[in-house]
Amino acid sequence: MAITEERPEILELESGDTSTSTGAFARPTNASGWRAWVFTVDHKKIGIMYGAVAMFWFLWGGVEALLIRAQLFTPDGTVLTAEQYNQIFTMHGTTMVFLVIMPLAAAFANYIVPLQIGARDVAFPRMNALGLWIFVFAGIFLNLSWFLGGGPDGGWFAYAPNTGVTYSPGAGMDFYALGLQIAGIASLVGAINLIVTVLNMRAPGMTLLRMPVFTWMIFVVQLLLLFALPVITVALILLSFDRTFDANFFNVAMGADPLLWQHLFWIFGHPEVYILILPSFGIVSETLPVFSRKPLFGYSVIVISGAAIGFMGWGVWAHHMFVSGLGPVGVAAFSATTMFIAVPTGVKILNWIATMWGGNLKFTVPMMFSISLVSMFTIGGLSGVMHSVAPADTQQTDTYFIVAHFHYVLFGGALMGLFAGMYYWWPKAFGYKLNESLGKWHFWILLVGFNMTFGPMHIVGLQGMARRHSRYGPEDGFDFWNAVVTIGAFVILIGMIVFAVNIVRTWLGYKAGTVPQEPADPWDGRTIEWAIPCPTPEHNFDYVPVITDVDDFWHKKYQPDENGKLRKVADGNEIAQKGDQNPHLPSPSYWPIVLASALPLIALGLIYNLWISGIGLLLLLGAMYGWSLEPATDPDAGHGDHADEHGPDDDDSPGDEASEITEEAPVV
Amino acid sequence: MSPRIPISTEVKSLEMTKSQSVMSRLLRLLPLLLGSMLIASCASGRIDPTDPVGDNAKQIDGIMRLSGYMAAAVGLFVAGAVITAIVKFRERPTDDPNELPKQIHGNRKAELTWTLIPVFMLVFLAIVTIPTVFDLSSKSDGRTIKVEGQQWWWQFSYDVDEDGVSDIVTANEIVIPVGEEINLDIRSNDVIHSFWIPQLNGKRDAVPGRVHSWRISSPVPGIFYGECTEFCGLSHANMQMRAVVLTDEDYDEWVREQLTPANIPAAAAAKSGYDLFGRHCVSCHVINGVYESAADGNANLTSGYAPNLTHLMTRTSFAGAIFELYEEDGSVNIADLKEWIRNAPGQKPSRPENRQGMISFAETLSDKELDDLVTYLMTLGGPPPLMPS
Repeated sequence: MAITEERPEILELESGDTSTSTGAFARPTNASGWRAWVFTVDHKKIGIMYGAVAMFWFLWGGVEALLIRAQLFTPDGTVLTAEQYNQIFTMHGTTMVFLVIMPLAAAFANYIVPLQIGARDVAFPRMNALGLWIFVFAGIFLNLSWFLGGGPDGGWFAYAPNTGVTYSPGAGMDFYALGLQIAGIASLVGAINLIVTVLNMRAPGMTLLRMPVFTWMIFVVQLLLLFALPVITVALILLSFDRTFDANFFNVAMGADPLLWQHLFWIFGHPEVYILILPSFGIVSETLPVFSRKPLFGYSVIVISGAAIGFMGWGVWAHHMFVSGLGPVGVAAFSATTMFIAVPTGVKILNWIATMWGGNLKFTVPMMFSISLVSMFTIGGLSGVMHSVAPADTQQTDTYFIVAHFHYVLFGGALMGLFAGMYYWWPKAFGYKLNESLGKWHFWILLVGFNMTFGPMHIVGLQGMARRHSRYGPEDGFDFWNAVVTIGAFVILIGMIVFAVNIVRTWLGYKAGTVPQEPADPWDGRTIEWAIPCPTPEHNFDYVPVITDVDDFWHKKYQPDENGKLRKVADGNEIAQKGDQNPHLPSPSYWPIVLASALPLIALGLIYNLWISGIGLLLLLGAMYGWSLEPATDPDAGHGDHADEHGPDDDDSPGDEASEITEEAPVV
Repeated sequence: MSPRIPISTEVKSLEMTKSQSVMSRLLRLLPLLLGSMLIASCASGRIDPTDPVGDNAKQIDGIMRLSGYMAAAVGLFVAGAVITAIVKFRERPTDDPNELPKQIHGNRKAELTWTLIPVFMLVFLAIVTIPTVFDLSSKSDGRTIKVEGQQWWWQFSYDVDEDGVSDIVTANEIVIPVGEEINLDIRSNDVIHSFWIPQLNGKRDAVPGRVHSWRISSPVPGIFYGECTEFCGLSHANMQMRAVVLTDEDYDEWVREQLTPANIPAAAAAKSGYDLFGRHCVSCHVINGVYESAADGNANLTSGYAPNLTHLMTRTSFAGAIFELYEEDGSVNIADLKEWIRNAPGQKPSRPENRQGMISFAETLSDKELDDLVTYLMTLGGPPPLMPS
């Protein structure tokens, strides 16, 4: 990192003037309106945008799911053609994995992690914005395929050689391969950013083993992303070369072995499962203690088991390939490793239950979603152990039993946790709670709909209903449960409509003043994001707290009296920071969105005409040039005098940052 | 803040009564729900892994049930613990909000216990699993049948005299003698498919460029259904197969018939159909003894192969085993067969323009010509040794 606090003289600009000859290199001012969002480098706004965009794709992925279910409502369904069905289930999976759960986790990671470690932003704010915009453009690019000849039709797993031009002649798979490469850049940028943030920008006193579990899990996930994404990127580049330039990586006639794709895909794909689930494990590790009014049972065990899952997750990928001809030694080995990854996961489940055990449980909406993660994920985990028995898997794989399994993991686990997180941190992000009554309706309808949808899939799966079939026959005996499943899917839709109503109604109510503004610490929280006002002030922390404990904020509120009995000594809302300081913050920037917009152009050019790629490449280079010459701060920001009070900028050394903060942080 | 408190408690109590009434209504519905579940679970279809017949399938079923019961036991334990915690430790209105529950940060002994118990359970499961994996992967000393998957049907080839050349080539239905462990050499001619007849054994992928060994057997004669279970493109849902298990006697008779080449028919309509076949069908289809130009593959299909039709009428199904070749009364299903020849892409999703599947003859053949073709096809052997029940 080149660290310089001094702006190059030549780029000094007059206040707010962006139209001079050097104007292209000026930073935007802290504008209001849409500019405040599009050019922002604030981790909180970026987090909210990740969440909003992911929820949009959730809606779209949900529509895809409903179309699938409408088709399978009856035998020989005629809602979709086989071609449409294949495209829609491909994009349902791709959308939900890459455009919904990953960015939802990124939303929480971006918003919450800096707050939990006492930082004013992430280490590289502009890179953070870059990650967001690349993700946004990747989503648009992937879905452009619908308007340009049809979506990808090779499944989200895209097994070669079915995804080659010979068997998938449309452009859909090109959009898939290139779109996921673009999305991968977004995740990689985010991963590096968060790893540096967590390692370098923790508040003084926050050792790694005092870090909140959510931050821990996000940290593990970023390491997984860092190592997993290059693998799928390699696979996707090979696929793109095959499709675009007639390379022979997966051409069997030229000696290729199609299992190469499967190994590459699942070496990414299995850690990916943990990338999807660990953030939610982190979320419930925050909410369960808060609403049980007890510390997390076995903090270090939960952290270590999370890290262990992250590590062991690299040694189980071939359990996706038990029937693909690995040979008995490979199958036996991966069968055993897969069984044993259940151990750290099971330990987590039991530790969460032990956290609740003996507590004083408050059934708020976030708590209900958290408990449903504990119970629903367990079902998915246990059916996962059943698959690890490789001979049994030869009957189960590619049936609806697997579909049931991973929806219990990803919907019952990951999504339930993410919903818990939304209800839990909503006041921190927006200043008010979502309505608890509507939230409970949302929860119960969703839970019933979820079990109605994915529970019966266990049964039809064991009865032999294969996945990815656009139809089943009346003679197959799958009618009854498929009808139930489809009805269940629409119950989920109702639950999500209730959620949408809740969001809109509380927002309108908040604006009208009928929904109250929440104080800093509405849930009696344990971690330091609750020590700052709701909604989070733009600069996060007036001063950075000094951390002395796990659950540091809680220990500021509850201390043992002379008999050693814990007593409430302070009200969280009173000892919270006031958010009334005005420290220097990183300035917005034009370049992240400009740079990101170049990537889909390059990709489109690879499909249609290399000249478009040329234009994209010029834009990319221009944006990099502009980025590198951008002044360190917005000249109009007006905080240049407070050199001793600045917050993190992308030009700042996080090390310096920490030492300054230590000096100024008062002991609470 | 203070004026809000009564409102929120009111909402809470209102909600409790609401949820209680929903609860009681659900409880009243429970018998109905359980009843329909019972009916539905009895109504299993013709592809049913939970009703294993072959030895391999039975072995798998045993270990699957074991893992299922273990999973269920753990699941019930966890569910019990969660429910107990919810009921026992819920916040009560009488609780003093300033009174904290006992603050327990962990318990090494407990954590060690619930780490080790799953470890022991899983070690046990692994000890049961691993030998089974090797068992199922071993070859038998029975005969070997070549299985080839291609979009979107299966081809089975028999080397009866063991000279390295296939003597019988058939489609969609693998015919095997009862009680013999048959070795399969599973291959693919285009993309990855998966061979699965669940009542006889688990599945095994057909991967182009590789030969995968697998076994099937059945102790009783009968027809067992299966389907492709690795996504293989457009018509993946319409790539089924059948295993026809025959008594030794019937099997020998079947082999004898299959080894007989076809003749040129004498009757006028059939002869006309025969000529039409020579004009329109032989670039892809083979009929041993009369039309063998496509025997070594053809360029009209990406896989290079279309079903060999020499003994079409000895099969019970056609077009990837998605249509019955015979009606329930034993007569030939002429209507579907004719419609299939007339417009195959309309009957089963395919992409003939991309050399994936059979082309349409709707524009090429007249109704009379189609009748003649069907008449000719009906001369190709038959009836099948075993009919679907």
